Amino acid sequence: MYIIVIGGGRVGYYLSKALLDEGHEILIIEKSPAVCEIVNDELGSICYRGDGCEASTLAQVGTGRADMLIAVTGDDEDNLIACQVAKHKFKVPRTIARIRNPKNEILFKKLGIDVTISSTNVILEQIAEEVPTHPIIHLHEIRDKGLEIVEIKIPQGSAAIGKALKDVDLPPGTIVPLIIRKALRPIIPAPATILMAEDQVIAVIEPMAEDALRQSLRGA
Amino acid sequence: MKVVIMGCGRVGARLAGLLDAEGHGVTVMDTDSYSFRRLPPGFKGKALVGNGIDEEALKRAGIEQADAFFSVTQGDNRNLMAAQIARHIFGVKRVICRIYDPLRQEMYESLGLESISPTTIIADTLRKKLEG
Amino acid sequence: MEFHRILVPVAGLEADIETVKLACRLARREKARILVMHVIPISRSLPLDTELTGEVKKAEKVLEEAAKLALELGCDIETDLLQARNVGPSIVDEALERQIDLVVMGLTYKRHFGQFSLGDVTPYVLKNAPCPVILYQQYQPE
Repeated sequence: MYIIVIGGGRVGYYLSKALLDEGHEILIIEKSPAVCEIVNDELGSICYRGDGCEASTLAQVGTGRADMLIAVTGDDEDNLIACQVAKHKFKVPRTIARIRNPKNEILFKKLGIDVTISSTNVILEQIAEEVPTHPIIHLHEIRDKGLEIVEIKIPQGSAAIGKALKDVDLPPGTIVPLIIRKALRPIIPAPATILMAEDQVIAVIEPMAEDALRQSLRGA
Repeated sequence: MKVVIMGCGRVGARLAGLLDAEGHGVTVMDTDSYSFRRLPPGFKGKALVGNGIDEEALKRAGIEQADAFFSVTQGDNRNLMAAQIARHIFGVKRVICRIYDPLRQEMYESLGLESISPTTIIADTLRKKLEG
Repeated sequence: MEFHRILVPVAGLEADIETVKLACRLARREKARILVMHVIPISRSLPLDTELTGEVKKAEKVLEEAAKLALELGCDIETDLLQARNVGPSIVDEALERQIDLVVMGLTYKRHFGQFSLGDVTPYVLKNAPCPVILYQQYQPE
């Protein structure tokens, strides 16, 4: 495969090195001449100096025949634009963007970027799995519906305690299919089910609604 | 009209001043508070330190109630990303974006993003001056 | 200095003739072997193994002429035609692979945007070659 990597920093460098070892044709586009020189010295002449968001640069390196473009600069906006230009101008079949701000995941997906990778999210997920007190645990993502299934625990002192589920101000569209209650069997809640402290609430929400859900179930 | 402007450089500040004088509700954002010195004296709108590619900052600037959004920072990519957030996440009706690179401008225009390339406009204006 | 394997990269320039002559003169004394190479640069927009018939013909002619000249000078040469993304690295790779102990290359004086320029290839070879390099610059009166 011909793979273009935007950004020759540490992520771009090690990624390219691994992909070269797998036998792919790799080209890195990097703005800084100093970084270019280091990459070229160490990986062979695979680094092209230029702006990977510029259509003219992408045309020069033959983006039209690329199978994949991976944007891994340190700036979300640069990664987004590089992927969009590759996708719309050069019809690159697969574009992958690194993102710093996990919230950008939704935007990037909406704008047609095929895959986004957020190291922040990867670490957060790891923490969520290992630290059960983390307020919201991502259980599953329903990608094609743009929904996710999360688990959230109601802490002592939450304003939701003692209220019926229907009276809690949940974000619009939230579905609560299950509540896991201490020392009891999990219950499928009815609108009148009263929430208790330490309840683990399983909810289906839109990713944007996470903060609102946290507010309504954990807020004092 | 409620207007959010991202970037308080010469263009952003001037635009903010003009719209404010016309009686629109203007909020101008910039990552550097020092750039707000460019706003005209008597500017009645809001000036807010924040990054326009951050949804939280945009919400603070009132993007959810805005009728129009302009992105006029120095960075083409930042402008493009902010404009797309305004349009696709917050559904702002009028979104206009400055892009220096004419090729990028052309492409995003064809994707339906309203944009202006000062490079094209100024080069053209200068050429026309010569023709008299 | 003794040389046993001399590499002469040619580019289809005027300087090629003198470069090949120089290499032959050096080779004769040591009975060294000469490898004349030419690299066709392939743009990234094409796969590396694309056959550019026109370019290949031109390159073959450049190599033939070098071989003819060498023969006239009583010196036997080997030729090699390569395709690469970048000319400099492929010259250096060839020098490494063929255990070359001297590179003789020519260049024509160049002006680039009004400034003196050695181009990309020569500085790369000078910096990275695994052996001595003799550079011949064709004199061009202003």
